[in-house]
Amino acid sequence: MFKALTEPFRHPYPGKLIKQGAGTGKKPKARAKNWSGTLGRLWLYLAERKYKLLLVLFMVLLNSGLALLGPYLIGVAVDDYLEGVGGQPWLLFLGGLALAYGATSLTSWLQNIWMIEIAQETVFRLRRDLFAKLHRLPIPFYAKRQQGEIMSRVTNDIDNVSVTLNSSAIQIFSSILILVGTLTVMLILSPLLTLLTFLVVPLMMLGMRWITSRTGPLFKRRQRDLGELNGYIEETLSGQRIIKAFSREERVIGEFRQRNAAIRESGFWAQAISGFIPKLMNALNNLSFALVAGIGGILAIHGQVTVGVIIVFVEYARQFTRPLNDLANQWNTLLSAIAGAERVFEVMDEPEESRDESGAKVLREVEGTVEFREVSFSYDEERDDDILENISFHAKPGQMIALVGPTGAGKTTLIQLLSRFYEPTKGVITLDGYDLSKITRDSLRGHMAFVLQDSFLFAGTIRENIRYGRLNATDEEVEEAAKLANAHSFIARLAEGYDKRLGVGGEGISQGQKQLLAIARAMLANPSVLVLDEATSSIDTVTELKIQEGLQRLMQGRTSFVIAHRLNTIRQADKILVLQGGKLIEQGDHEALLRQGGFYKELHQGHFEEEGENAQ
Amino acid sequence: MRTVLSFLRKYRVAACAALAMMLIELSVELIQPLIISRIIDEGIAVKDLTVVWLWGGILLVSAGIAFVAGLASSFFASHASQGFGFDLRDRLYEKVQSLSYPVFGRFATSSLITRLTGDVTQLQDMVFMGLRFATRVPLVVFGSMIMAVIVHGKLGLMLAVLTPLVVWFVLWMINRTSARFGQVQKQMDAVNGVIQENMTGMRLIRVFVRRDQENERFRKRSGELMQGTVSALRLSETTTPVLLLMMNAGILAVLWFGKIDIAAGNASIGQVVAVVNYALRTVGALSALSWIMASYSRASASAARTIEVLGTEDPSEEQWEEKPESSRKTVFNRVEKKPEDQRMKGEVEFSRVSFSYPGSNLKVLEDISFRVQPGERVAILGATGSGKSSLVQLIPGLYEPTGGDIAVDGKRIGLLGTLRLRSGIGYVPQEVILFSGSVRDNIAWGREDATFEEIQEAARQAQIHETILSLPQGYDTMLGQRGVNLSGGQKQRLSIARALVRRPAILILDDSTSALDTRTEAALLMELDRLSCTTFLITQKISSTVSADLILLLDEGHLIACGKHEELLADSPLYRRIAESQQGGGDRYVQSTH
Repeated sequence: MFKALTEPFRHPYPGKLIKQGAGTGKKPKARAKNWSGTLGRLWLYLAERKYKLLLVLFMVLLNSGLALLGPYLIGVAVDDYLEGVGGQPWLLFLGGLALAYGATSLTSWLQNIWMIEIAQETVFRLRRDLFAKLHRLPIPFYAKRQQGEIMSRVTNDIDNVSVTLNSSAIQIFSSILILVGTLTVMLILSPLLTLLTFLVVPLMMLGMRWITSRTGPLFKRRQRDLGELNGYIEETLSGQRIIKAFSREERVIGEFRQRNAAIRESGFWAQAISGFIPKLMNALNNLSFALVAGIGGILAIHGQVTVGVIIVFVEYARQFTRPLNDLANQWNTLLSAIAGAERVFEVMDEPEESRDESGAKVLREVEGTVEFREVSFSYDEERDDDILENISFHAKPGQMIALVGPTGAGKTTLIQLLSRFYEPTKGVITLDGYDLSKITRDSLRGHMAFVLQDSFLFAGTIRENIRYGRLNATDEEVEEAAKLANAHSFIARLAEGYDKRLGVGGEGISQGQKQLLAIARAMLANPSVLVLDEATSSIDTVTELKIQEGLQRLMQGRTSFVIAHRLNTIRQADKILVLQGGKLIEQGDHEALLRQGGFYKELHQGHFEEEGENAQ
Repeated sequence: MRTVLSFLRKYRVAACAALAMMLIELSVELIQPLIISRIIDEGIAVKDLTVVWLWGGILLVSAGIAFVAGLASSFFASHASQGFGFDLRDRLYEKVQSLSYPVFGRFATSSLITRLTGDVTQLQDMVFMGLRFATRVPLVVFGSMIMAVIVHGKLGLMLAVLTPLVVWFVLWMINRTSARFGQVQKQMDAVNGVIQENMTGMRLIRVFVRRDQENERFRKRSGELMQGTVSALRLSETTTPVLLLMMNAGILAVLWFGKIDIAAGNASIGQVVAVVNYALRTVGALSALSWIMASYSRASASAARTIEVLGTEDPSEEQWEEKPESSRKTVFNRVEKKPEDQRMKGEVEFSRVSFSYPGSNLKVLEDISFRVQPGERVAILGATGSGKSSLVQLIPGLYEPTGGDIAVDGKRIGLLGTLRLRSGIGYVPQEVILFSGSVRDNIAWGREDATFEEIQEAARQAQIHETILSLPQGYDTMLGQRGVNLSGGQKQRLSIARALVRRPAILILDDSTSALDTRTEAALLMELDRLSCTTFLITQKISSTVSADLILLLDEGHLIACGKHEELLADSPLYRRIAESQQGGGDRYVQSTH
């Protein structure tokens, strides 16, 4: 990620080609769709530092001028002082040269330092805004996209912008200045020699085009082969246990070798042909060097130019391909950065979770009466594919409501409507008689807690994770909650106790223990409405008993919605909602539903087709 | 690094040729200023046109030679580096495959993957660069120094004194900046960590309304990153201006003393110009130095990581083979394919088996003894961490017991030979591992020479045949990244089919029926009864232990009860409790929610 930062110097060959070698083929070449728009918005970020930016521009101007002056002064030195008979203020001239050199270093230092500050501040703001935006996006946004894709926008794309602003911006600008400047000075000194020097430019262009037209497909093939090979490595090493148990080592080595040979073949051609580019550059540089020296010498003998001019030209010719080269490379970096910025802005433009209506109520105390009145929901209002259809039910404070039904029946969606991750397309949901859409989201959610089956924990200590439920809770309160949740006993047996650090996603404790912590966290939050999702995965019986007990305590005195899997749980419910295909087909308590002899009874008898068969 | 570079030995001709070509190119460049000085001194100064023509022509021809040499070096370097990469990767992969499972487990899988992919590519690139550019920089610097001294002793000496000073400065700066950049990388990881966590826990954060807190946390981390980046870059950006300043001071000195020498008749203009020219070339080369150092240090880190794998000692695998041989090349051919004359019967006996994972003192299993007759079904029950999975992993010899003996068909498994032992075992691990490829490939993975009929038969036994037929392309449906996604239960049954197609004498199901509903599971168990292979079934469900021939109840590594359902109901309080908790509420059924 930081490769580009650690390479602050210009390389003698195109960096683009090397970078392609290191990747694993994950980065598709993207072009920005809306150039000016994206640049304009990026400018808005940069503009907050526009005076400093102006200063940088001035420095770049100065620096480019000085870069041209250096070789020129050497030429003057040769003509007027070394060759000449002296007498003129040689010391003064050298002093001037020293000053020019000093100023070159100083301006180049200042332009870079200032630009880096501007760039990093800009990137910081961009990053901050994007992150804040993530918290304002509606949950469906996350359901629609792969997490990795969003991640890459917040990390890679922003890094791209960062690297480009750090160095490429200045380099592009100064390359153009130097090119134009060099050309001008050369033309003034000797149009004929200038022509000779630039004779090689068309050759260079032609050569480059010839090579890139060949390397393009080669690189594509190599990327494909590399992707194939890396995929194979990843897959087989992840499944190593099976390979061992099935004694398949020999076979996978054989298959691996085939793929390895393929990448060797395509890699060879891609590398060899693309390696021509710097060689061609060099050769053409040498050619123009020879032309300038030879023809320049002849001209000098005829007195048409001075030796100093030849020296200046040799120096210019030696370095004019560099800005050209830089320009080509930086141009690509710039393009990919703009594309990256565009992807970032795309996220920033996503519609946000609708704002709370003006005058939305802030709920202070909540009893926990929940009512659904003819609620329907579909992801797409245009199409008529309701996920939930005409759901009505009533839950009294403290009641436990079990949600039962096959996958895709709409259980999870119902819960998401309750927490306003989604908004119903029809109908009204009320809490304590208030329409949910008339309550501020924060205050609504502040009275709710979730315990889901894959309990999410943060990297941090156990104490911090429980305290996430209520930030101002004291240590005593945290422990009290853990005790009620049945988590205390296992925490107490850990060497570091409540200060044990968990890894990302709660790494370091078992699934069941994570769930106990999630219960403790919810306990501490002290919500009025509780949403539970019973675990389906096999947690060992002892831990499971503890979880059950903890949940029982948690549910006491709170309105709870349980996506239930166990008959034991379901049987205790005050009300069971049986969902099928988005419809609420039966509701009532266990006994009543059994008497009814419908779908629930069928479920109860265990005659139940396997779940998840065609899910996803 | 040296060990890794020994992989280059096979390609030394190509590598040397590449270097030679580069040297030719380089010498052309180094001679150029010398030739220019000749043109000035012997041509222009004395108005001799033929000299100018001559040297101009030489310049032109030499440029041509350099070009051809450059192209050739590209080919040679590419051949050497690609061959090097191929051999290194091949050797690494073979090594990884030859490691026994416990030794393999010493490395994190993700880290092994990186070593085989990123690190090898890194090294391969370094070889390529090394043959083409990297070695060139010291040569340019050194060559310029020498040439300058040759052109004019006194003036050249100034360059020769200055250059090492500048090189030292650049290296010193590189050292300091790379430490800073290491710090920046850590800060970067921290920032990305916060993002990752927030993305995963987004719903939770919303429900607990912790938006402001998370924003604040992120702002702090990314603020640190900004500060770190600015300070690291500020330092690294100082290198070039100072480098320029030092070299330019040298040029000034050359001009100053050059003027004096010219006046005194000790030097010619051409000589002064040449020395200045060499100084400028040195500046150009030095600019690339920091980049080369950075990639060298990256490459040497990669080299260390690959060597760690290559140098892994693995004594256990050797002992596991039936006929130990010393040659390591034949790890996999060692046990020749034996005719299936002595088919495994499937009798398994544990006598006083203890086990701890390598590098840990915790006894995962202690003093476990039991005996299973061919064709019997064993149900293993116990809490998480009680040692169930560890126990079954010992049977195919994925791990070696630390104490006691395991015998299959009356023979210690250590004496049986890994290949023979494993070919009689069908193993279905807890986490489902499928490979990209078709459904058919995945089942046939269990036995290469299985016919399509046998594959279908195995699928039928695993209760997945019907489902496969309903897939878009039936048995040819592709799985994995580019194919369809199967549900958890379908994947489980597919990996059971993969084990069954081996027609194993011993079948191990490590909680592999957890996502199946009761009915499918029952049908599967019935199929297994018909197959008459010894079955080890790890389970949480009493329903599947009832009909077992033997139930092993594990608790913290101890076998606390062992027998049939009725016996355990009578003898084991824990078993009774578990049975009651599940049967009191009738059969559990499972419904998945996502």
